[in-house]
Amino acid sequence: MTLDFAARTQLGDFSYDARFEAGNEIVVLFGHSGAGKSLTLQLIAGLLRPDGGRIAIGGEPVFDSGSGLDLPPQQRPIGYVVQDLALFPHMTVAENVAFGMTSEGRDDRLGELLDLMHLTEFRSRKPRSLSGGQQQRVALARALARDARLLLLDEPFSALDESLRVELRRELIRLRSELDLSVIFVTHDLREAHLVADRLAVFDAGRLLQFDGRERVFRAPANRRVAQLTGVANILRGRVVEERNGELAVEAGGTRLLAPLPNGWRPREGEEVDLAIRAERVNLRRLDADDPGHPNLVRGTIREELAYGATHTLRFESPLGPSIEVEIAARPYEVLGVAGQRSWTVELPPEDLHVMPVDSESTEGSRASATTA
Amino acid sequence: MTALRARAPHAGLALLIAVFAVFFLLPFAGLLERGLGDSGAWDAVTSSTAADALALSLWTSAVALVIAVVAGTPVAYWLSHARFPGKGAVEALIDLPIVLPPTIAGVALLTAFGRKGLLGAPLDEWFGLTLGFSTVAVIMAQLFVGAPFYVRAARAGFASVDDQYERVAHTLGASKLRTFVRIVLPLSWPSLAAGAALCWARALGELGATLIFAGNLQGETQTMPLAILSAFESADGLTTAVALAILLLAVALVALAAFWLLSTRRQGIA
Repeated sequence: MTLDFAARTQLGDFSYDARFEAGNEIVVLFGHSGAGKSLTLQLIAGLLRPDGGRIAIGGEPVFDSGSGLDLPPQQRPIGYVVQDLALFPHMTVAENVAFGMTSEGRDDRLGELLDLMHLTEFRSRKPRSLSGGQQQRVALARALARDARLLLLDEPFSALDESLRVELRRELIRLRSELDLSVIFVTHDLREAHLVADRLAVFDAGRLLQFDGRERVFRAPANRRVAQLTGVANILRGRVVEERNGELAVEAGGTRLLAPLPNGWRPREGEEVDLAIRAERVNLRRLDADDPGHPNLVRGTIREELAYGATHTLRFESPLGPSIEVEIAARPYEVLGVAGQRSWTVELPPEDLHVMPVDSESTEGSRASATTA
Repeated sequence: MTALRARAPHAGLALLIAVFAVFFLLPFAGLLERGLGDSGAWDAVTSSTAADALALSLWTSAVALVIAVVAGTPVAYWLSHARFPGKGAVEALIDLPIVLPPTIAGVALLTAFGRKGLLGAPLDEWFGLTLGFSTVAVIMAQLFVGAPFYVRAARAGFASVDDQYERVAHTLGASKLRTFVRIVLPLSWPSLAAGAALCWARALGELGATLIFAGNLQGETQTMPLAILSAFESADGLTTAVALAILLLAVALVALAAFWLLSTRRQGIA
């Protein structure tokens, strides 16, 4: 099953424009609330009509502003699980699941589906007598009952605790391969996005900022805003000095930093760029340690420290800026003796330093987020 | 924290409750005492006047209820979902008969549908059709005062059903009609039932509008409330009036009890 999606629409002040496609995979739509994620699902399901664009499911168009095609939700081959599940409270589990089924062979298929979702023993119960995880499975089963191969899930795990999330994720991956599903999965939770996604679509203020494989989005965010949204703690503004041996030398805060050439574009000499590095990728070295001959070393002083148990977050003042964030696991924190030593050599390994273009939109985005923060 | 316990009301409040209870219960006791203690009561209850009035009351109020439900349900559903300027005014207008004194309703109906009324005059002139002072007028009066109770309750009932259920049903392939029947109706059923019961009770008890718009003709427009009024004004007045009142009260109680049982059972199954 495939989805080809392109839509733009204007809702009051909110303008929306996005285009992406999905194959037999889990595509996570990620962003803050109000970014346009749930709206995307409603557009696919036919509950909202975009101003323009084209939406095709399995190659069959369901919306096309060019030809005026706009199939109602009833005729779109999708299964939609809304955020609050909306299980029909007056029906049993079996009645809920069977609601979308056609009459032929209903009993057999209902039995199969209840088995598949481990719901057989609850079939005569009302939804409100079930636990959150069980209700979640009923909603999934009901959405699957039309034999839809495109599943739309809106924050499906939001009401569940951590262990149930992991279990349902396993379930989802099993279903995807057993039933040849495409899944569009909405979440604002970064960890959940990482846990579930094959590919990741990062939304912000009605725009799709980046659509890529999960690792690529996390390692190589398209711009400053994507880096912020995906939890990159350190974003530095710099200027390209030179390109040599497939590496870029960038000057930032009076320091020369080496970074790999980015994919897909080639910064010019003298051009302003943004550099991103995740907190857990930054290394600490003792000041008195032998010089390993590594590039990208700066001297920093710990200004703030937060202990999370398994990890510690340290904020360094350095020539690179007032707050370089370093995340370090509890064990190396103790071995290095960080608690008793405030001054360190901070290493930004070149292979983990990602160069991003400075574009006006992302600068505006960062300014907006800085003022609201 | 202290455990919650059932508290006895304060002495002053207890007295107030007692007085209030007596005020509401004593009239029923009086009715029963008068009716059961009077040998003429049985004759009054079995008279042709009573039989005619009761039959007329029951079937006209039933027809009024059916019309209110059939026409009022779509209107209430539309009102619960539509958004348009002046919606509040429309809703207030629909509620108006609830607060309108019935005699005013009767006069108003007469000026619209009576022989010289706005619509009544042309109807009479072109088709020889007279609505006033007929059984149709009885039903119209009952509908006019009763239907707003149903529409109001149904509107609230429909509005209380989360739109999300309907959207989900649509994505599951259910048509708008099927969604309404399978999802919206069962979920708003208690409100609809309560509204229907109120509408019917109001129609059954309708007096003022009927008297003015339909008149007081035995077998044709004389419903139970009118029969009670007539009996009260006649020579041996109170005995017959009391007997008829008890009869109407009993019928209404039985009907409402049956209705309540049916609707709660329905709720339990659904």
